[in-house]
Amino acid sequence: MTETAAPDLAADLPTAGTDDRLPWYRRIFGPLARSPLGLRRRILLIFTLGAVGLSAFLAFTTYTLTQSNVVQQRDDAAVDSARRNAQIVQSILRGEPQSSQTAKVALEDLGVQRPLIWYDQEFSVGNGQYQKEALPQVLVDRVINDAVPARMIVAVDGELNVVVGWPLPNQSAYFEFSSLNEVENTLDSVRLSLLLGGLITTLLGVAVGTFAAGRAVRPVGVAAQAAKAIAGGRLDTRLEPTEDPDLSVLATSFNDMAAALQQRVERDARFASDVSHELRSPLMTLAASVEVMEARRDEMPERAQAALDLLHGDVTRFQGLVEDLLEISRFDAGAIRLNLEELLAAEFVRQAIAVSSLPESKVTVSERAEMVIIRGDRRRLARVVANLIDNARLHGGSTQPDVSIKEINPPDEPVSHIHIAVEDHGPGVPVDERHLVFERFARGGSAGRRMSSDGAGLGLSLADEHVRMHGGRVWVEDRSDGEPGARFVIELAAVEIDE
Amino acid sequence: MGTRILAVEDDERIRSAVKLALEDEGWIVDEAESGEIAIELFAQTTPDVVLIDIMLPGIDGFELCRTIRRTSDVPVVMVTARNDTHDIVAGLEAGADDYLTKPFAAKELSARIRALLRRIRPSAQGHVRLSFGDLELIPEEGKVLRNGTEVHLTKTEFRLLCELAESPGKVFSRESLLDKVWGYDYFGDGRLVDVHVRRLRTKVEIDPANPRHVVTVRGLGYRLQT
Repeated sequence: MTETAAPDLAADLPTAGTDDRLPWYRRIFGPLARSPLGLRRRILLIFTLGAVGLSAFLAFTTYTLTQSNVVQQRDDAAVDSARRNAQIVQSILRGEPQSSQTAKVALEDLGVQRPLIWYDQEFSVGNGQYQKEALPQVLVDRVINDAVPARMIVAVDGELNVVVGWPLPNQSAYFEFSSLNEVENTLDSVRLSLLLGGLITTLLGVAVGTFAAGRAVRPVGVAAQAAKAIAGGRLDTRLEPTEDPDLSVLATSFNDMAAALQQRVERDARFASDVSHELRSPLMTLAASVEVMEARRDEMPERAQAALDLLHGDVTRFQGLVEDLLEISRFDAGAIRLNLEELLAAEFVRQAIAVSSLPESKVTVSERAEMVIIRGDRRRLARVVANLIDNARLHGGSTQPDVSIKEINPPDEPVSHIHIAVEDHGPGVPVDERHLVFERFARGGSAGRRMSSDGAGLGLSLADEHVRMHGGRVWVEDRSDGEPGARFVIELAAVEIDE
Repeated sequence: MGTRILAVEDDERIRSAVKLALEDEGWIVDEAESGEIAIELFAQTTPDVVLIDIMLPGIDGFELCRTIRRTSDVPVVMVTARNDTHDIVAGLEAGADDYLTKPFAAKELSARIRALLRRIRPSAQGHVRLSFGDLELIPEEGKVLRNGTEVHLTKTEFRLLCELAESPGKVFSRESLLDKVWGYDYFGDGRLVDVHVRRLRTKVEIDPANPRHVVTVRGLGYRLQT
């Protein structure tokens, strides 16, 4: 049985959106364009190329026209002058004595500077430089032999001349050189001004291009700022309506998207908030009932006691979860208002530890940090500390964690920040998971183990959100003494009390 | 002669569970499932403390508190399911002395109630009458007179005034007032103090917006100016 190759379906499908051909500027500049040109640069490039091209075209056209014009004029003038002078020579040569010398003198009197007369099979030279050698043979043949007037442009000693030849009767001929110096000078200055003009035009083009590019790109920048604001949590950011029909599409669709996003987020936050509130009522009943049972624990048989312990533990955990969920939903809805106060850092941390799940944990405070004030919401920050302690209790091995407060600044500088560190003796957090542990409901590896046993994995992410709201940071690193274990650090801005 | 609590809560299960837990703590508990019933029971049972859930059908918790306050200065504890600032401040301004958020432990509530029922400790010199401006403070009778007429303060408002009057001119921080009047530790809610000062001012100051006696010291706390 023959096997037919499976048809290559992919070959028939159009690739959505991607164009294999390079963008136009890449094709032009090829390997020179190493990185994609931005919109602004492309517009500028187009303007510059346009300015250069236009001014070059204009300059070229102008120059060419001017050149031909000027040259033509000179030409005509030279021909005219030569013709008249030829007639003069002719008339002189008819008279007595018939000698080219007379003619030469007559011409000289007229002020003709570069004549050559062919008479009696020989050249009479008027001006030393312009000898018969300077005459192109082609011209000579044409005028003398073919008896046809002709002209040509030759260079004599580096200077361009128009040489005009007029045939005279009796096989004579008159040649006259006319300098093209003036023409050359004129053309030179025209060339210079055109170059200058072209340069200025190009520069103007670049300037206009920069301006145009800036203006064109501005709406993009505005939209980018708005998007950034939304991503940062200001969900009510909108673009201003514009009359520009091309841009209004962008503004309208952006605003629609932002409105939809805001609705979504607020709905989600409201949902989480409503659910949590609803959960508080049955939790109240559960908590109160468990309390009643706890009061009679000694009267219970062993199995009932065990069941009660489990029940109590989970009801407590459930309460914590509901509180955490509520707080997180407040964050998402942007509804957190911090109750900021000035707190003595050391006193605050000691109090926070005292109400945590490991109140006996040792707190070490550096000398300078004893006299330091932080600005914070005392209950929320206490929750942060409590979360870190809980974390240490669950994953930090069997011994108490060590808590320390220290300023980050060297002794000669004023205090700007403090580090509140909670170090445990557990297995620590591997480097590639140090980011994960602060995520909501993070799973996977030891992050998963850290998360799944207690507190439903919101504690650390709440700690992160709270600390960030205070303008600080929280992270995890290795213990400072090199032993195995995690070191969670909260960094907060602080000021020393001045006496 | 046990201490009577009137618990106003519309959720039947919560009501039953809370009653059980509070009775374990030694309180006598009367239940009311709505504001209207609570008003009736209040007159009948004359409780020592009233516990009111904000979310009630019919008359809401704030309204009930205001109604009670018209005729009585009995300690009132609001129970909120939402610890939004608005609810807490509204409850305190309606006349509550303290608040708790559901779910709470009966032990915690007991501690709050005991703090609210504490008698004013006699100072070292015994009870001292204190006069300042148009006010006269008579701690052993629990009375404040203004130009001779009695001003009706709740027990907590009175205790707050007495604590400030203990050392006139001395600045008391919110923390210390929370401790002395409400029995809270470091993490008490400063809003309790702030709203009670506001309430006190409306009752004893000629111009509550520009207080002459109960004065705020910015960043530090409050003091009594005589």
